[in-house]
Amino acid sequence: MKKKILVVDDFASIRDFVCETLQRKGYETIGASNGTEAFTLLSSNPKVDLVLTDYNMPDCTGFELLKKIKSSGSLAKVPVIFLTTESNPDKMRAAKEAGLTAWIKKPYRSETFFAQIENAMIHG
Amino acid sequence: MDSNQERFVEDALDLLNELDEGLLQLEGNPHARAPLEQVFRTMHTIKGGANMFGFENIGELSHHLETLYDLVRQEKLTVTDKLISITLHAFDKVRDVLQLRDAGMISRAEGLKEHLHNALQYLQDVQADNGSGSSLSRKIDEVATFLIRIVPSIRMTEDGNHPLVFIIKDIESLGTSKVYVFKKEEEVVQWDVYLTTTTAREEIESYFIFVEQDCIVNCVKLGTDLLSTAEFQNFLKENSGAPIGLDQIQSFSSSQNPIGNEKNEDIGSGKTFNLAKKGLHDTYIKVSKRKIDDLLNWISELIILQAQLATSSSRIKDSDLSEVTELLEMVTNRLRDTSLEIGLVPIETLVTKFKRLVRDLSKTLEKKVNFLSEGAETEMDKDVIELMSDPMIHIIRNCIDHGIEAPEVRKAAGKSEHGTVKLKAFNSSAYVNIIISDDGAGIDKQKVLLKAKEKGIVGSSAELTDDEILNLIFHPGLSTASSVSDISGRGVGMDVVRQKLNDLRGYVSVQSSPGKGTSFHIKLPLSRSIIEGLLVKVDETPYVVPLNIVTRIDRMAYETLDRVNKLNPSVVVNEELLSVFSLRENFHSGSAAPKTADIISVTINGARRAIAVDRIEGKLQTVMKPLGDAFIQQDFIAGSTILGDGSLALVLDPVRLFQVSVN
Repeated sequence: MKKKILVVDDFASIRDFVCETLQRKGYETIGASNGTEAFTLLSSNPKVDLVLTDYNMPDCTGFELLKKIKSSGSLAKVPVIFLTTESNPDKMRAAKEAGLTAWIKKPYRSETFFAQIENAMIHG
Repeated sequence: MDSNQERFVEDALDLLNELDEGLLQLEGNPHARAPLEQVFRTMHTIKGGANMFGFENIGELSHHLETLYDLVRQEKLTVTDKLISITLHAFDKVRDVLQLRDAGMISRAEGLKEHLHNALQYLQDVQADNGSGSSLSRKIDEVATFLIRIVPSIRMTEDGNHPLVFIIKDIESLGTSKVYVFKKEEEVVQWDVYLTTTTAREEIESYFIFVEQDCIVNCVKLGTDLLSTAEFQNFLKENSGAPIGLDQIQSFSSSQNPIGNEKNEDIGSGKTFNLAKKGLHDTYIKVSKRKIDDLLNWISELIILQAQLATSSSRIKDSDLSEVTELLEMVTNRLRDTSLEIGLVPIETLVTKFKRLVRDLSKTLEKKVNFLSEGAETEMDKDVIELMSDPMIHIIRNCIDHGIEAPEVRKAAGKSEHGTVKLKAFNSSAYVNIIISDDGAGIDKQKVLLKAKEKGIVGSSAELTDDEILNLIFHPGLSTASSVSDISGRGVGMDVVRQKLNDLRGYVSVQSSPGKGTSFHIKLPLSRSIIEGLLVKVDETPYVVPLNIVTRIDRMAYETLDRVNKLNPSVVVNEELLSVFSLRENFHSGSAAPKTADIISVTINGARRAIAVDRIEGKLQTVMKPLGDAFIQQDFIAGSTILGDGSLALVLDPVRLFQVSVN
């Protein structure tokens, strides 16, 4: 069965680009434009295997989304990866403590990207 | 350019408009948090996108500007006019570059470096002014060489799929690097990465945060630009067989160049922010313009067919058929109304552009001008917005250049030093109204009249009403600015403005009162192809008169117009003498005259005229089709439309009609 990835980014061209890249590699994708929307989608789509989200977004940031996911019992086991230009070590540390699986910096190299994603879905 | 890059360029251009808006808000209110966060976030998004789609030059510029605003967020910098100007100019350049719409040209674009330099220079200047510079010590161009020693704590191979393998590749690409892998059989024992980079140590270390359970990382700063020295390269070559002891390396590198013991300050607070943005919960999709045009085209065909069906159905008088026809009419009307809205976008983009214009112009002309807008959410056809942009810019320029007085003049006249240019947009039925007004000196009617007489535009003894005088400003070759500035040109402007608006089937009129100001009223149809008109007949030929100019209709005896071969050039309507254009007289003089004529009073560009027809059939909303090339010289006809019975009606272009009648 195809793995399903939720891609969250408020910038539509990046979101679509990431989705298309993932689809070409055989993943199923759904998109959301902010944390709130993502969480709603996730709550009604329990079969998502991975959440790939931007950090800085209006309304609900990636970090807030991460905290929401990790504190909701049933969804807590879904791995979350940040895909972002943000590179503040403190924020990265805080995100890790909140249960983040990996932090991919934009612009990413596609092999790093896919390795991180695969690894996250295997090991949670 | 691939389709992803194209979409990025489109999105980024939208973002740049938002950024302009945010920057202007920030300039007006330098301590406001919301616009600052918006500006920062927008730059951040542009940076991310640019890097992702291969436009590193834009990414780099955005990055450094973002850094400046991050310092503002941390209250280490304050917002100044200069900072805003630098940013606006830099992103203007980015906008120009993006508009090349060619991936190669964008990524090689010249001129971004200059703005990058300005941004860096600004930071340095501010630091110098602060004396110490310590509080802003983000070492932007600090080159350093690090040894990053990674010892995996789990078993892994060099070509394995562990993220660490790829993280090391990412690290390598941060600068000039040399990597040594030490293996025991196939398993990696240790990586030594020598890296000369401008990336801070904290940032390098942060790459490993998410794999720290699987490895031990040690990052040591060795010196500045070591990797480029022959000595260090030789040293590495000689010792490449086994991991070199840290002491040994450090003693070597310190002999090469001494290391300062500075520590990079961590940038960026952990603050999160919410940006309340209009329409956040409304979802949007982007559709190509061509698809919308196709859709509108088919809907217009449907409207014509539906009208034909209604005509046939009323002739056949079958109850089943007429029921379906009525339902179809209802659906078609709904579809038509919805379709009118599809291609519409808010005029907000224009407003932002104008804010910029007012700001820049008032600085150049040393006037103090505020720009107010109302109804920026009013929607218009995207093409029309683009076509309207230049004429409106011209009007606003005139308002500032000729309308608004210099601050000291205003003060002397008992007005506030700050002038105001106001843009008000609103809808009325199928039209968009835009009123651009200023509270300046108003138009000096005597001066205009004098000039017009001087130039022979009107006769030297001509008596003109106030409205007629004001209308002269749209005459080609008339400019009343005593000194011609490079801003509002040499009187080649307002006539072009009117021309362009008329081409869009829109009209402009002007009102002005001395000392109080001037206002321009623009009225444009919402749709370029669907028009509301008055269906009229002369003899048995149908014509359509656009409804937006009709002010009143009167029926009078035909003799009023034509007293036995003595034609009246004007007619009294509502106690006002209007010059009249008789369609019958001009195009149908051969046939027998009716008993009565209907006089349609119209207002064209502020002037009142009348059109005489035989009778008015009614109102209709219809689709205008262009006529073939054969009719191109008949320019008083705007187009044609197909009526319900399948016959053709000509749509009149009243502006040109009266030009014909004058000649």
